[in-house]
Amino acid sequence: MGMLKTLRTPRMGLIVVALILAAAPLAFSNPYQYDVAIHVLLNAMVAVGLNLLMGYAGQISLGHAGFFGLGAYVTAVLSANYGWPVYLSMPAALVVVAILAFLVARPILRLSGHYLAMATLGLGILISIVLRTEAGITGGPDGMMAPPLSVGDTPIYDERYWYALIAVLLLITVWLALNLIDSPVGRALRAVHGSEVAAEVVGVHTLGYKVLIFVVSAVLAALAGVLTAHYSGFVTPDLANFIYSIEFVTMVVLGGMASTYGALIGAVILTLLPQFLTGVDELEMMVLGLILMVVVIFMPTGLVPTLGRLMPGGRR
Amino acid sequence: MNAILECRELTKSFGGVDAVADLSFSIERGHIHSIIGPNGAGKTTLINLLTGIYTPTKGSILLSDQDTRGLAPYKLARRGLGRTFQNLQVCMNMSAIENVMVGRHLRLNRRFIPSLLRLKSVRTGDRDCRERAAELMRFTGLEKQIDAHPGEMSYGALKRLEIARALAAEPELLFLDEPAAGLNANETHAIGALIREVAERGVTVVLVEHDMRLVMDISDSVLVLNYGRRLAQGTPQSVQNDPEVVSAYLGGA
Repeated sequence: MGMLKTLRTPRMGLIVVALILAAAPLAFSNPYQYDVAIHVLLNAMVAVGLNLLMGYAGQISLGHAGFFGLGAYVTAVLSANYGWPVYLSMPAALVVVAILAFLVARPILRLSGHYLAMATLGLGILISIVLRTEAGITGGPDGMMAPPLSVGDTPIYDERYWYALIAVLLLITVWLALNLIDSPVGRALRAVHGSEVAAEVVGVHTLGYKVLIFVVSAVLAALAGVLTAHYSGFVTPDLANFIYSIEFVTMVVLGGMASTYGALIGAVILTLLPQFLTGVDELEMMVLGLILMVVVIFMPTGLVPTLGRLMPGGRR
Repeated sequence: MNAILECRELTKSFGGVDAVADLSFSIERGHIHSIIGPNGAGKTTLINLLTGIYTPTKGSILLSDQDTRGLAPYKLARRGLGRTFQNLQVCMNMSAIENVMVGRHLRLNRRFIPSLLRLKSVRTGDRDCRERAAELMRFTGLEKQIDAHPGEMSYGALKRLEIARALAAEPELLFLDEPAAGLNANETHAIGALIREVAERGVTVVLVEHDMRLVMDISDSVLVLNYGRRLAQGTPQSVQNDPEVVSAYLGGA
């Protein structure tokens, strides 16, 4: 409980997260545990971005796995097929996803509610179909290899280095997200959620802010995808699977909408969940669905805000 | 002539029905102006036209002699227009003071990269913004609710909160859409006093209101609408004595 209280003051929370990230490897004894931790961090990166869009600005996306998968494929294709150095193909992939997100955002974000959900769902599925069927470029359903990230001529395979790299990137992501929310831009985003018309009449260009945060969250999903590609060494169209879009949304809803630390905790829980349900894929999906339902019915604000309220003196 | 707002042959049709028809009038800078009329007279449609929520079917709206046709509400805000809402539009996902702080949006450094890095200019701007917002909450009689959440505030307090938010943008022209709706006599009297103080600060106030006593008490000029058309415009006294106005309200021929 004491730790949760700390999490309510943003800067202190950041230090706590940094300490946890730094201390966690003390508990790891084999590469597999690092591998699981890396996937936790990558999902957390997506969840923090998606929470900016969903939790703060109130705009749903059921297509973020599409951006994740697309980022992974663009960097894989550029580096494997066209020989780009990985340190160039990675940012290039982010730029490509940013441009795509920007182009689709204006028409899509004029929609709201169910229509927005359907449009983003369609977009995600479209991306995954293209990745699967454009076999000449993407390798089709089998996927393709992605060259490793190297320093000089030394390729990095060691999970410990990947853990460190991704932990630092996640920490930066969390820091930037906290800053953004605690700024005039963040207030404008939250006002878009609270009352679009009220935001508009005090001068907030609501569509512009929705587009901005959609692009930001898409780029964060793509960043996680890009890192996944070079970390695992191969990409498959499954990365863009619509199921992952649902998982990302569940992480945000479970941890708590409009709570950056909630997004982190949601990512931890949902990524570790399959570890406890190994071998039974169907069971995993059922539990995912069950969690989503239970959270929406019994604690619609999510874990972190609900626990925060239960504490003495807590409101948020 | 010192009109801050002028409408020329303004018309808004909804499926063939003219909610506002051929309406021409102007509003002088300064003072308190009221727009009144029986239910369905087109008051809300008019305020939505003037604040850019609707686009006119015909006619023009001039704000300080500049045509505002096709300008979105957020662009009108940049030209000094503010408003409150008849049915409250308070952001329940933010604290009371944050609601007021949103009102200062246009006055703050709101560029993306400085916000992302929370540069010093953003931090100091935000600190000042919070102070100004608290000041406005005191001005609007919300000094006890500075740390409150809108969920725990009364209806009357939320109406004042909307006024504080609108004032935070430092508008030249402020539309108040039924500020006294749902308030009791005491609260209505208090809100009338507040509106006077707002006008004394140099803001041109346009009031759309049902409460006749409030309107007649505080207005310098009154525009009366009926069936989307102008029925009369003038001082409260002249309007009250206008036979056409009396018959429209009392349902005479």
